[in-house]
Amino acid sequence: MSNIKYCSFPVTPKAALAELLSRKNEALAVAGGTLAAKTLPETTVNFVELKNLPLNYIKMRGPDLVIGAMATFDDIDNSKLVGSWAGGVISTAAARCSSQLIRNMATIGGNIARPHSFNIFPAVLLGLDAKVKILCKTGVKTCAFSDIYLADFKFRPGRDCLILEVVIPGKTRNWTCRFEKFAKTEASWEAYLTLFMAAEINSGSMNEIRVAVGALSPKPFRARGAEKVLAGAELSAGVIDAAVVELERDMDVVRASEFKKEVSASLFRRFLEVL
Amino acid sequence: MKKESIRLEAVNGVFRISLTVNGVKKNFAVKNNEFLLNALRRYGYKGAKKGCDTGDCGSCTVIFNGKPALACLIPAFTAHGAEITTIEGVGTVRNPHPLQEAFVEAGAVQCGFCIPGMILSSKHLLDVNPSPSEDDIKKYLDGNLCRCTGYVKQIQAVKMAAKKIKKA
Repeated sequence: MSNIKYCSFPVTPKAALAELLSRKNEALAVAGGTLAAKTLPETTVNFVELKNLPLNYIKMRGPDLVIGAMATFDDIDNSKLVGSWAGGVISTAAARCSSQLIRNMATIGGNIARPHSFNIFPAVLLGLDAKVKILCKTGVKTCAFSDIYLADFKFRPGRDCLILEVVIPGKTRNWTCRFEKFAKTEASWEAYLTLFMAAEINSGSMNEIRVAVGALSPKPFRARGAEKVLAGAELSAGVIDAAVVELERDMDVVRASEFKKEVSASLFRRFLEVL
Repeated sequence: MKKESIRLEAVNGVFRISLTVNGVKKNFAVKNNEFLLNALRRYGYKGAKKGCDTGDCGSCTVIFNGKPALACLIPAFTAHGAEITTIEGVGTVRNPHPLQEAFVEAGAVQCGFCIPGMILSSKHLLDVNPSPSEDDIKKYLDGNLCRCTGYVKQIQAVKMAAKKIKKA
């Protein structure tokens, strides 16, 4: 932090982006700052403080749920609208993040812009097919949440673009979902494993299967093998066993340690057994 | 009043900021690598304690723009324009806040290091929810660690304070 010369307090996203672009690679946007403040790159000269941006809304837009990037974990935890969405899985995830003091400060935008493996929201947003609206120098763009983890994603959130909001599609509103965080303690912010699971049973067969895993690598991932076994199948003990085996294979691909593999398998089995 | 975008510039690594501490307008000179906790303590607000300095223990808790926050994680220069309440702004020795009375009466204070943070977190809880359940209290205090007690007395104290405030 000793090289910081400017601190900007923009009140509009456009002004914030202008600050970022005026000092390429030397400007960094910070939202809640719970993770960023202690780990700022020494190259940062312009600290762009986003707390005055009017992006802390949580609302419906058409059938979709829209969460502004500056909504804190506490805002999300206490929102009735979010609590009623997908069985309250987004609220549950927000409430499982660290302590109340962190939840008062940390924002959803910051949580997805800084690629720490133990962040809470990535697995949930990946599982809910979320979209992200960003502001970059060519204007506002909407992209799939998963795109921001692609190697060829053109932008660097907080450096040359701003995350404006997260859009959760309306189709997920009544999904049966579950979020699990496995960590040393309830309030620990460094999760060993985060797991998002969703499934719907229609006319006896399963669909809308999502198994998203976080905290194992900087990028959350979908356990496609396990999802494939369940898609269209009738729920039975045999299908559950096969899906759990596939999840363990998916975990092997990312070289998950043995205990994380076992934990994820147990949590996944529990979820399926109570469907 | 409509807010406008502003930019502060550090001179020789020092920012000059204006903020409100316990209802009083103040001007601080803060280093660019200094956190709010250090700045507050340097300016005499020593109720905010330095424990872990990594945002884990809660002993540096202050109320920052209306919500309890960790002063050890807030770069001091970002507090420009902020409204801050420290423990010095909650009650006095002669006229303590009901929470402070309740903490003493319940025997919730041992070494006292974590108590400013506990009181400020609890104060905000009672401000937004005058009748909290035990689970609400536990959730609200989960970031304020105490190494002396088992947290039972603090939870009793918050319940006791809620009753006192209602009666008053």
